[in-house]
Amino acid sequence: MKIAVCLKLVPATTADLRVSPDGQSLQLSGVETIVSPYDEFALEAALKVKESVPGSSVHAISAGPDEALKCLQHAFSVGGDAGTHIKGTFDAHTAARLIAAVLGEIAADVIFCGRQAIDDDQWLVPGALGELLNIPHVTAVSSLNLGPEKTSFECRRRFEGGEQVIQLQLPAIISCDKGLNEPRAPTLKGRLDAKKKQPVVKTAAELGVAEAELAPALTITRYSPPPQKNAGKIISSPPAEAARELVRLLREEAKII
Amino acid sequence: MGANILVVAEHVDGTPKKSVFELLTVARAIAAPRGGQVHALTMGPGALNAAAEFGAWGAESVYTVEEGFEKYATLALVKAIAGAAQVAEAGVILFSAGSLARDTAGRVATRLGGTLASDCVELSAAASKLALTRPVYAGRVRISAEYSSEAPLIATLRPNAFSIEKPAAPASGTALVLQITPEPEDLRSIVTEVAKPSSTRPELTEASIVVSGGRSLGSAENFKLVYDLADALGAAPGASRAAVDAGYAPYSMQVGQTGKTVNPVLYIAIGISGAIQHLAGMRTSKYIVAINKDPNAAIFKIADYGLAGDMFEIVPALTEEFKRVLKS
Ligand SMILES: Cc1cc2nc3c(=O)[nH]c(=O)nc-3n(C[C@H](O)[C@H](O)[C@H](O)COP(=O)(O)OP(=O)(O)OC[C@H]3O[C@@H](n4cnc5c(N)ncnc54)[C@H](O)[C@@H]3O)c2cc1C
Ligand SMILES: Nc1ncnc2c1ncn2[C@@H]1O[C@H](COP(=O)(O)O)[C@@H](O)[C@H]1O
Repeated sequence: MKIAVCLKLVPATTADLRVSPDGQSLQLSGVETIVSPYDEFALEAALKVKESVPGSSVHAISAGPDEALKCLQHAFSVGGDAGTHIKGTFDAHTAARLIAAVLGEIAADVIFCGRQAIDDDQWLVPGALGELLNIPHVTAVSSLNLGPEKTSFECRRRFEGGEQVIQLQLPAIISCDKGLNEPRAPTLKGRLDAKKKQPVVKTAAELGVAEAELAPALTITRYSPPPQKNAGKIISSPPAEAARELVRLLREEAKII
Repeated sequence: MGANILVVAEHVDGTPKKSVFELLTVARAIAAPRGGQVHALTMGPGALNAAAEFGAWGAESVYTVEEGFEKYATLALVKAIAGAAQVAEAGVILFSAGSLARDTAGRVATRLGGTLASDCVELSAAASKLALTRPVYAGRVRISAEYSSEAPLIATLRPNAFSIEKPAAPASGTALVLQITPEPEDLRSIVTEVAKPSSTRPELTEASIVVSGGRSLGSAENFKLVYDLADALGAAPGASRAAVDAGYAPYSMQVGQTGKTVNPVLYIAIGISGAIQHLAGMRTSKYIVAINKDPNAAIFKIADYGLAGDMFEIVPALTEEFKRVLKS
């Protein structure tokens, strides 16, 4: 099977993100970066399928600035076979168009993504890829079983309290949730092998998207830190008294109970 | 872009979800300066029943699709939503930021050549421009943005972030059955089984009160402390990742960067230290109560009310006190 996986480089979950004093920019250079955690589940899912179907290959794709190569090197080090780096800075809509252009050439049977990139938190790209390639997608799967004919998957996902079982026909896009698998770490040999693999580098123009089309339709007017909370009241009286005091405050001060 | 607003109105067996009324309230507020109308769409079995009351909430037309939509099929739903948007001449499509939106909104946006903005916490309109605010980087930063494109804006709104107001005057609320039938190609991804939630507790991402427990509860049995307090308040129970990883609570309860984002009126954190990844999932809660024996715990920095002490003593007392006052 031909398998593809989409990996995005994002600031680490603990990175200290600073908004400039005028609110017009966000300080991102120099912050620690990681492969978006859900994309790690996608990569592991891709490798598992590869291992279960002889003759399969995994093609990793990452759109982003030069550092995004890190995603492809990581993919190579755990068993990825090929990689494409789409070079530049893009919003999720444009990234989807560019990734779709690359996928159009690969003609993969199954494409794995994370459920959301943990920087823009859009939950856009998997569905957008499905639409652009005219193939189905499933969102946030937590379990996967490849059908005996290898033309379908049985997927499970959590859906508003319950759980859905989904029959999915290939080719398709699958977005991955936590719990799907345990992503593996690269071995030393894997790291060495990775050095021998080179990703293909493409620009937006080479993929048929002109410079003028790269501007996002949403114009950012301001960055702001989350609303700050004032330090609250600390109650340290004995349990029963503290409980009474809290309930009183919630009723009389906050007026929410 | 079209002046009208389409609200994707979700329902459970014909009863609209609470978030629908948030969406309808926002829809009216942004339709007015644009000189547009509010339309709604309900889908699946019970759609027609759910549609009945939306006129009173300002919807001019309510589109429904029921036949052929008995089973959840992503592409069929996308077809219905995009189809309704076209019939309604909608320039804005509003979803509640829940499972349905996660699954369909991005695809609808792409089909209509529009733009998606997920998890908006503010949305307003002037005559030819929309303004919105949404959290990014798991809530560590907010971006405010403007939109004036001709193509539709597809916005998903975070539950509980917008108030609910009924209009003074109703709109006509005409129900119209859309002639949209799923084709085989729309069923390439289809739900064949649904395991209903086993509890009658509210959905975590929509609940007005959430009570979460951390690793220090020490066992799945001790999580009863969390469930008892949650049940006394009609709240949804949640958990930290450390509690989930230790097997004390299922992943479906995890709140935080790699779990669910909640936005309740009241969030009660029991024995949770307040790691940045946990805060990412709950920091926008209107009121935060923290119970922790460490007076220096990070959670107290964002708590409106902090109870410094042993949760095994405080929580049962609190449960009893809530039961007492809520009964009277
Ligand atoms: C990539 C990544 C993603 C993550 N995603 C998430 C996420 O989605 N959600 C999440 O929650 N975490 C997430 N984490 C983990 C996070 O960093 C913390 O490890 C986790 O939130 C800690 O959980 P906790 O507060 O239950 O445990 P601890 O940090 O161990 O805190 C336990 C607290 O209980 C208090 N305590 C102990 N005994 C008592 C008592 N008897 N009475 C009262 N208080 C008591 C202690 O003082 C302490 O503050 C993530 C981490 C990473 C690296
Ligand atoms: N720039 C990108 N490069 C590669 N994959 C991406 C990129 N942006 C998004 N994706 C994929 O799409 C998923 C969802 O991203 P998003 O829609 O931005 O929340 C991610 O988890 C990735 O798998």
